[in-house]
Amino acid sequence: MDFDFSSLFAFILFGLTIGVVYGIVALGISLIYSGLDIVHFAHGEIYMFGAFFGLVFSEQVGVPYPLALLSAMICAGVLGIVIERVFYRRLTRAGGGYTVAGMGMIICGFGMSVVLQNIAFLIWGADAEPFHVDLGEPYQFGDISLPKSYALTAVMALFLMAALHFFLVRTKLGLAVRAVAHNKDIAFLMGINVPLMISLIFGLACALAAAAGTLIGPMQSVQVEMGYLMLMKAFAAAVVGGFGSLPGAIVGGLLVGIFENLGAAYISPSHKDIYAFLLLILVLMIKPSGLFGVEARVKA
Amino acid sequence: MTEANETDGARGSTPMLSIRGVTTGYGKIQILHGVDLTVQRGQIAALLGGNGTGKSTLLKALSGLLPVWDGVVEFDGEPIHQLRPDQIVRRGLVQVTQGKDAYPAMTVEENLKLGAFTRSDRKGVADDLERVFTFFPRLKERRNQLSATLSGGEVQMLVIGRGLMARPKMIMLDEPSAALAPKVVLSIFATVNQIRATGVSVLMVEQNVRMALLLAEYAYIIRDGKILIKGEARDLIKDPNVKLSFLGGTVADTSREIVA
Repeated sequence: MDFDFSSLFAFILFGLTIGVVYGIVALGISLIYSGLDIVHFAHGEIYMFGAFFGLVFSEQVGVPYPLALLSAMICAGVLGIVIERVFYRRLTRAGGGYTVAGMGMIICGFGMSVVLQNIAFLIWGADAEPFHVDLGEPYQFGDISLPKSYALTAVMALFLMAALHFFLVRTKLGLAVRAVAHNKDIAFLMGINVPLMISLIFGLACALAAAAGTLIGPMQSVQVEMGYLMLMKAFAAAVVGGFGSLPGAIVGGLLVGIFENLGAAYISPSHKDIYAFLLLILVLMIKPSGLFGVEARVKA
Repeated sequence: MTEANETDGARGSTPMLSIRGVTTGYGKIQILHGVDLTVQRGQIAALLGGNGTGKSTLLKALSGLLPVWDGVVEFDGEPIHQLRPDQIVRRGLVQVTQGKDAYPAMTVEENLKLGAFTRSDRKGVADDLERVFTFFPRLKERRNQLSATLSGGEVQMLVIGRGLMARPKMIMLDEPSAALAPKVVLSIFATVNQIRATGVSVLMVEQNVRMALLLAEYAYIIRDGKILIKGEARDLIKDPNVKLSFLGGTVADTSREIVA
């Protein structure tokens, strides 16, 4: 049997591209989980808002695409900080994690997701909006042609991951973020303004989601219901990698992307959205804590 | 460190820390029922008591982690009981928690740098890092190791060093000798003695009563959220009531050499 390796390579390449996008959304979900002890169910809607912000800046304001990306990130970051300060903090103050407050937090997240979707519907309507970005001719790798938007997406997503890593590991503020993520009381005793850091963490995570939205816009289209599926996929990515683990979120995203594309290519394209969850089930059967997860989180 | 000495003259004889009638607790459960306590400048005060008497609760209230329900906490002549914990640290009052509260996923050096979070003088921070390493040479050897890999004694050294990195006017130590071998306890107490010599005031919560009384100038014994006995440490060590309630003799014989 003659196997077509160049198309396999193409599927993997496209899988990686979409995978890094899942990865940065999952990164935000993991960042919020490790920093605030909450599972943020409205993160898909932040992603959707980010995509619309990008669209508005790019098409209506008319700024260049990279600037639109940056502006969308800032707007979504601010939106996230406001949401966290006004709504979530009332619940997290009473405790976090899987307590009664944690349950309230989950419901609040779902509620926020519905509210944000309807706000977006009122502003932008239900139609899918095309996101035109003209980047020129696709790149050619042998037989495979890779549209420039895909290449740009992968490069930008990797850049954002590297920047986040640099921020967390090399800067004083990043050190403080890690301290807050591990133990808020001790972080307070280090003289860190913990409430401010929590806003920063939430804003960063939302900015990452907006970046994903603006990056994926030109590949697909922008629509008010796009958040739901992204949330599910990013969630799967975060769990596959190990919930709360930042490298795990990225690896999980890449795996989900590749797995999904290969499944669509070699099994059935009409069930494209199932494969992410198939992978999730497989990983959980073999290693319940996820690939990079810790068996049990010890918290003082 | 020298700053603390210089301000001594300027501020006169106001105590470093003065607590009057402090009550607090968790939720609706009251733990402290009106605590009065004073720490003089450049001195070590010991707060002694068994488990569940309110020692750690008092430290949490002083460092702002627990709200003070009633009463006054004055640090360096100014009220601090309504400030956030990070603001209290900026004033120069630093709580050193138990060793288990080092950040295990960070290196020794990262932990120490975190202690200096409130400071922006790079040169001073670098100097203080070296100073902490002279206090605890073991930490210098292990500066790039994750603190999860340290021994119990080394982690205790790390959290004390981390507290000093903030260049505090006063530190509060939460049971620095807990769960450590007698030899390590000695070296920790010797370090606390050195810290006082640099002009930093110390409030030390301890269960190792004899050691604490040998080191401190003044001591308070807390029980059921109230100060039961207080006095000069050298008097309390002879007090039959104190002896009756607390003193064991485990490390007593070797302990004299560090105070001498």
